Amino acid sequence: MVKLDRRGVLKALTALPVIGGVIAILSPLFRYLKPNYKPWAVDTTADDAAQGGPQVVGKTTALTKPWDYFYFNYVQKYPQYDPTGFKASNIPGVAVRLPKKVKLVNPQVGYVGFEGETDVVLFQRICPHLGCIFEFVPLWQNVTTGFGGFTPPAWEQHALMACPCHFSIYDPTYPGYPGNVISGPAPRGARLFHFKIQGENIVVDGAESGGLARSPGRRDPVEET
Amino acid sequence: MDALLANLKEWLRDRKAHLDLFDETKTQHLDNPLYTLGGLVWLSWMIVIVSGILLMVWYIPTTTGAYRSIEHITYDIPFGWLVRGMHKYGADMLITVITLRIYRMYFAGEYKKPGELSWMILFAGLVLMMISGVTGYALIWNQRAFWAAKTILTVPTYYDEIPIIKQLGLGHAIAYIFLGGPALGQATLTRFLSIHFGISVVLVIAAEIFFYRTRRRRLNLSLFATAVVVVFLTFVSFERIAEMGRWANPNRTPLPILSDWYFLALYQVVKYMPPLWAGIAPALLIGYGMVVPFMDRTKETRPLERPFFFVVGLLALAYFIGFTLLILLNIAVISRDPPIIMTITLVVMVLAFVWEVVHRRRKARLAAHKPPAARPAAPRPGPAAQPGRAAS
Repeated sequence: MVKLDRRGVLKALTALPVIGGVIAILSPLFRYLKPNYKPWAVDTTADDAAQGGPQVVGKTTALTKPWDYFYFNYVQKYPQYDPTGFKASNIPGVAVRLPKKVKLVNPQVGYVGFEGETDVVLFQRICPHLGCIFEFVPLWQNVTTGFGGFTPPAWEQHALMACPCHFSIYDPTYPGYPGNVISGPAPRGARLFHFKIQGENIVVDGAESGGLARSPGRRDPVEET
Repeated sequence: MDALLANLKEWLRDRKAHLDLFDETKTQHLDNPLYTLGGLVWLSWMIVIVSGILLMVWYIPTTTGAYRSIEHITYDIPFGWLVRGMHKYGADMLITVITLRIYRMYFAGEYKKPGELSWMILFAGLVLMMISGVTGYALIWNQRAFWAAKTILTVPTYYDEIPIIKQLGLGHAIAYIFLGGPALGQATLTRFLSIHFGISVVLVIAAEIFFYRTRRRRLNLSLFATAVVVVFLTFVSFERIAEMGRWANPNRTPLPILSDWYFLALYQVVKYMPPLWAGIAPALLIGYGMVVPFMDRTKETRPLERPFFFVVGLLALAYFIGFTLLILLNIAVISRDPPIIMTITLVVMVLAFVWEVVHRRRKARLAAHKPPAARPAAPRPGPAAQPGRAAS
């Protein structure tokens, strides 16, 4: 059994600060693994946030009828811990024309994708679950056959978005939450871009952060707007 | 305090003396194929190390060069198919035999005193081999590799949802250290190569120290058995040239996408669980493996004499096979399946517990009816205490 005599107590009392001190002294060595941090901020990831800027990703004329869609890439740069330094990374996205106008807001984090109402909506195709690229599936029957056997309820039997990895299914017209997850393990709906429509150009000037590549651990999710 | 330390030291000294990692002390059982598994672990491991070193002669560890260099090795270099096949199928065999050996230890109760340390080392070895497997197949830089690496390393970012750890941002830090930045790229490939190589280097040094200090034979297999394994792996390498997949494309996830076979069951579980739990569940599984020798405290080694742990082992085996089949059949209705699985698990666990209690009661009754002379002289825990132990 544990016998706490005076010597044991004193040993334990001196051991704790010694161990703590050794860890404190050695912790900056983690910078070898994560070099772009200040010595005492090994755990922060804010410096690694990817940067984009306004980019024209497509034209509204490509979306004439409801459920017309196209894929695009929004390019960001982020640092990489190797001699090549900064690296470009794509956020694959999808632009869809919905049958009716919606407010493009994510109520879960409060990210606003578009000021006012719009029927042209843009979603990031990086799955908010574990980061695979999900697809826009024009026929919901293909979701049932290809993505594990999920049958949407009657009011959602239209084009859906589905992830090949873990079968999260997203509904682009979900009432009050465009892009919400309707089946699967994803903890939230599809991430949004912040965009404007200038003439017939769709201009993306920000992307909701989160997940890898765009993930400042502790940053406010609406900061990039 | 000192007494506790002394006990711990004594425990460690005793278990170290009884270490048996590659069945090198079980030579009298060699006519039983189950006891060749340890030797097969060592043999396939050595095949993997040698072929791995040979692969490094031609491999180019860059995102632009990796895929082409492995294609080159597989199809152009003389006997490249053999080296790559030996490495791939040798690794598959290593995972298979170490898993079978762990199951044998479980069902035969070999993890009980004095085998606890051997069990823990082998179990940790399996986990390290699986990490080695992920980091290894990422080196091909094909679609399977890319998406496996990305999804696996996104899992730790969910640790930042846990209230206290959230303040530290440690989840993202873990992901970033393995990725070499905030996304998959060249730095990830370099780090994965380092991990993949490093795990085996460190373990092989440890194993050599073990053999040097115990003076035991490394390979307890007959020359014939060894030859059969080598010929078999050569034949498979020739007959089924190791596949390449498609070059990694960060902008497109193919449908369907599968992991290596030993991760398929876990992959299916990740579909059913919220992502934070998908990160915690494997840790719990590893934790269960590490502490099971200390939970199953009876002296019985026969499976039917310890029904609860026997059923838990069967359940794990059934889930491994069942989930693998489900993912191969592409069935995962996330709104329907998890309650069914939870119900089955709960019912089976409760029944196993009841079986355990009933079994112990019956044994206690039998012991009470025996004439006292049949009892061993040494004091042992009273039979009445035993059903209570099942609860712990």
